[in-house]
Amino acid sequence: MLFVPVTLCMVVVVATIKSVSFYTEKNGQQLIYTPFTEDTDTVGERLLNSVLNTIIMISVIVVMTIFLVVLYKYRCYKFIHGWLILSSLMMLFWFSFMYLGEVFKTYNLAMDYPTVAMIIWNFGVVGMICIHWKGPLQLQQAYLIAISALMALVFIKYLPEWSAWVILGAISVYDLVAVLCPKGPLRMLVETAQERNEPIFPALIYSSAMIWMVGMANPARHAEPTNQDTGTFCLISAYNPLALTMLRGVKLGLGDFIFYSVLVGKAAATGGDWNTTLACFVAILIGLCLTLLLLAIFKKALPALPISITFGLVFYFSTDNLVRPFMDNLAAHQFYI
Amino acid sequence: MNLERLPNEEKLTLCRKYYLGKLQMYVCVWGFAFLPFLWLVNVVWFFKEAFVKPTYTEQLQIKTYVKRSGLGLLLWVAVLTTWITIFQHFRAEWGEVGDYLSFTIPLGIP
Repeated sequence: MLFVPVTLCMVVVVATIKSVSFYTEKNGQQLIYTPFTEDTDTVGERLLNSVLNTIIMISVIVVMTIFLVVLYKYRCYKFIHGWLILSSLMMLFWFSFMYLGEVFKTYNLAMDYPTVAMIIWNFGVVGMICIHWKGPLQLQQAYLIAISALMALVFIKYLPEWSAWVILGAISVYDLVAVLCPKGPLRMLVETAQERNEPIFPALIYSSAMIWMVGMANPARHAEPTNQDTGTFCLISAYNPLALTMLRGVKLGLGDFIFYSVLVGKAAATGGDWNTTLACFVAILIGLCLTLLLLAIFKKALPALPISITFGLVFYFSTDNLVRPFMDNLAAHQFYI
Repeated sequence: MNLERLPNEEKLTLCRKYYLGKLQMYVCVWGFAFLPFLWLVNVVWFFKEAFVKPTYTEQLQIKTYVKRSGLGLLLWVAVLTTWITIFQHFRAEWGEVGDYLSFTIPLGIP
């Protein structure tokens, strides 16, 4: 049941990358989180710079996650909500404005400011309402997918080549550590939320169904906003110990959506042809399958990134360097297998 | 949000709130805050409630709000379609004003 949204997100990202050239153009601008340039003279320097970039990026993420957990532990809910509202505002208005502009430029359409203002205003306001307040479930899910896709596109544009791949690898390791180690921040987050019997961080999570909590008068709401700075990278099964839940849904953190899409998007942008993209796509879905299987066996919060990203990386590099030349040669010699 | 699980009064308040297009912060300019999309969501989401389900007490009010949202929506669609048609057709002829209004200008010779 999580396959459809993950696939949708990846399809949107790949479609945009292949058609709108803006997201693959490198104009030297980089995020402040990755200050080292990759335009170096030697391969060694480039590798060093990408590793340094990764270290900086991962430390930023670690610091933010710990900050978030501390805030949650000390019940600074207002601060967290304010932060999340600001991030979703930026995503829904600014990034979608940029995206719309680029799509219009690609298809060479004329568009006037009043109409664009109307479109963005409507999109943004209804998005804020759906995500932070109440809305139809499918619309909430659609908005979360849209936000993850936009974020992934921003990462693809502004992360330099090698740094992106190293960051993907490092983030999977961090996810593993943060969710499974006893003192890992994400594990503490999950446990604190369970102790307080609250929905596990009503933010950053995509859920496939609504959940009824036993004994609460109001239905617990899930599938809420996104914080693109960190994202909780855990796959959590919505379970209630008293086994009286009406609906079970599976939840996936939005950070997971984003990084899956970054992997597939990068494969589409730099990988050459569709073989690579498809291979990565299949690899991620297989990884997701395995993670869900493990979830059914262990019944606790699990990191969703490691398995899928590992498979994705392996498939990307092997397809790009082994399968593609092989297929090209076969085609060149008209040899069909 | 699953509509079946809400009691009827909540459904009514929800429908009304969507109709007015208000957020908790002060956004509502000139009454309806230029949000036809919100009205569309209102109509689609509550359509079954208002017209397909068997009658219950609050249903009449829900029907009114859905109808009003539908009317507002149709009005906005008409206005937007007219404006877009006019703009696309006359953009080149308007010269300076056309460029000033344009967000993206297509390249090349028409």
